[in-house]
Amino acid sequence: MAAPILQVSQLTKRFGNLVALNNVSLEIREGEIFSIIGPNGAGKTTLFFNIIGLQKPDAGRVLFRGTEITGKPPHRICALGITCTFQVPRAFASMTVEEAVRVGAYKRYRGRDMLRKGDEVLQICELEEYRHQRCSDMGLAPLRRVELARALATEPVLLLLDEAGAGLNSMELAGLMAILRRLNEEMHITLCIVEHVMQMVMGMAQRIVVLDYGEVIAEGTPQEISTNPRVIEAYLGKGAVC
Amino acid sequence: MPRTRKDMNRFLLMLLLGIVVLLPIAVRSNQYTLVLLTTILLYGVLATAWNIIGGLAGQLDLAAGAYLGLGAFTTGTLLIRWNVSPWLGMVLGGLVAVGFALLVGYPLFRFGVKEVWYALSSAALVEVLRVAFLIWNQVGGPVERYLPYHEWSLYHLRFATYLPFSYIMLGLLVLALLVNHWIRQSRLGYYLMALGENEEAAEVLGVNTQRCKLQALAIYAFLVGITGGIYACMYGFIHPNFFSGPMSIEVAILGIVGGMGITYGPVIAAILLVSVREFLRASLGGQLEGLYLVVYATVLILIALFRPQGLGPLLRQAYDRLLARVVKE
Repeated sequence: MAAPILQVSQLTKRFGNLVALNNVSLEIREGEIFSIIGPNGAGKTTLFFNIIGLQKPDAGRVLFRGTEITGKPPHRICALGITCTFQVPRAFASMTVEEAVRVGAYKRYRGRDMLRKGDEVLQICELEEYRHQRCSDMGLAPLRRVELARALATEPVLLLLDEAGAGLNSMELAGLMAILRRLNEEMHITLCIVEHVMQMVMGMAQRIVVLDYGEVIAEGTPQEISTNPRVIEAYLGKGAVC
Repeated sequence: MPRTRKDMNRFLLMLLLGIVVLLPIAVRSNQYTLVLLTTILLYGVLATAWNIIGGLAGQLDLAAGAYLGLGAFTTGTLLIRWNVSPWLGMVLGGLVAVGFALLVGYPLFRFGVKEVWYALSSAALVEVLRVAFLIWNQVGGPVERYLPYHEWSLYHLRFATYLPFSYIMLGLLVLALLVNHWIRQSRLGYYLMALGENEEAAEVLGVNTQRCKLQALAIYAFLVGITGGIYACMYGFIHPNFFSGPMSIEVAILGIVGGMGITYGPVIAAILLVSVREFLRASLGGQLEGLYLVVYATVLILIALFRPQGLGPLLRQAYDRLLARVVKE
């Protein structure tokens, strides 16, 4: 079994009286495609934000390859090799695709190397034709790829994708999945995908964790998860298991 | 006759530069026109500097008057008390402004004060300093402090005409534009534009947003501080009213109207709007107090309604269209 790249232990996050995450523990292993699923409001995005440093957990720890990263600012976590994409694309509207990607590429490169890194991720994400287009003028599917390209340009070893497939048609989804597989297989990037699109989760993930009301209710392979009665109950309500 | 687009651009730039350089000499016999010209250049410098923090980094800063006043008081006080040349004084003034900007900016950015809250905090800063300098009798106080008079002294930066000041201000404008241009092509520029659009997204991509904003603020404060030193010498006195709220707001308005983040936008806005304002003041000022402001505000509202992206892009379109007719590629 591969070594863990990210360990989350007993993470708790409260917003006032609402417990968004309650004692969440999970482990992502080096090189795998890991998935977090759960009904709306289960705490998936909150979990991402607490890992990446955009929010600080009230309790619990996050370890990246054995070193503690709990509560560190996102730019430091990015420097270590973890970055994410957002559920609703947060485009740099006034910048061109090329420029947006360079923001990421500047993390590890300067000058000509930085430009080369930018070109490389544009090619991987099939964005070359959009290179000079402004991010504000783009459709959802290419915009999601810009988010991905930007993140990729920082050369992450662990990439968190928050509903990267949402709102895409089946052809666009297939394209995205092909790119993600390539990242995982050829560039050895560990992926953690939060997703509602089951086609994508079941088709890609090696292990799945299910969140409901801020708690982990199941963990296992896609096969195990799809037959787990607690999961079916969380999604469809009591009495759905016959 | 130039053939290609690039040649044409270069040719027109040279032509423009030539006109700007010769203009003060051409109008030198008329002090009013000279003051107007220098004022336009002054606002051009301030708005171009503002472009770094406001246009690129997207922080609605309303504290230009604070840094201008600090630069003016540092330069003025050093000259009055210790006969320090304003050439040195203005650099020190710029540094004082930077020091103050960092002192205030660090906690603001550290605790995530942004958008309207940042605007309000920075606006308050100007007023706090104005009152503080009114009370601080050793340096400020309610009475103007005059700089020593000299008919023509390069050391004291004092002249009986505005002509040299228009050239110094022109030099500063070129400096401010170059700094802008340089930042836009650097890593800092990319980072500022990114965080100006979306701070969290920039952070996740490895941008230390807090530090980048502080850097932008420091560069802006330095440029405005230097300008403050010249401002004091040009008017020949220092007074706490130099910490001016309305002026700070006007600088931001020019930056916004020019087109956020566009290098030459603020200059264009300064040329057009300051001329319009001064023309209105000259022609309407005697009839009804404040009438010129009503007309001026109407012009601003019209621009906001019909050209929300600013004057910069508008002029660029017009220029491109014109060029397409003249140049065949």
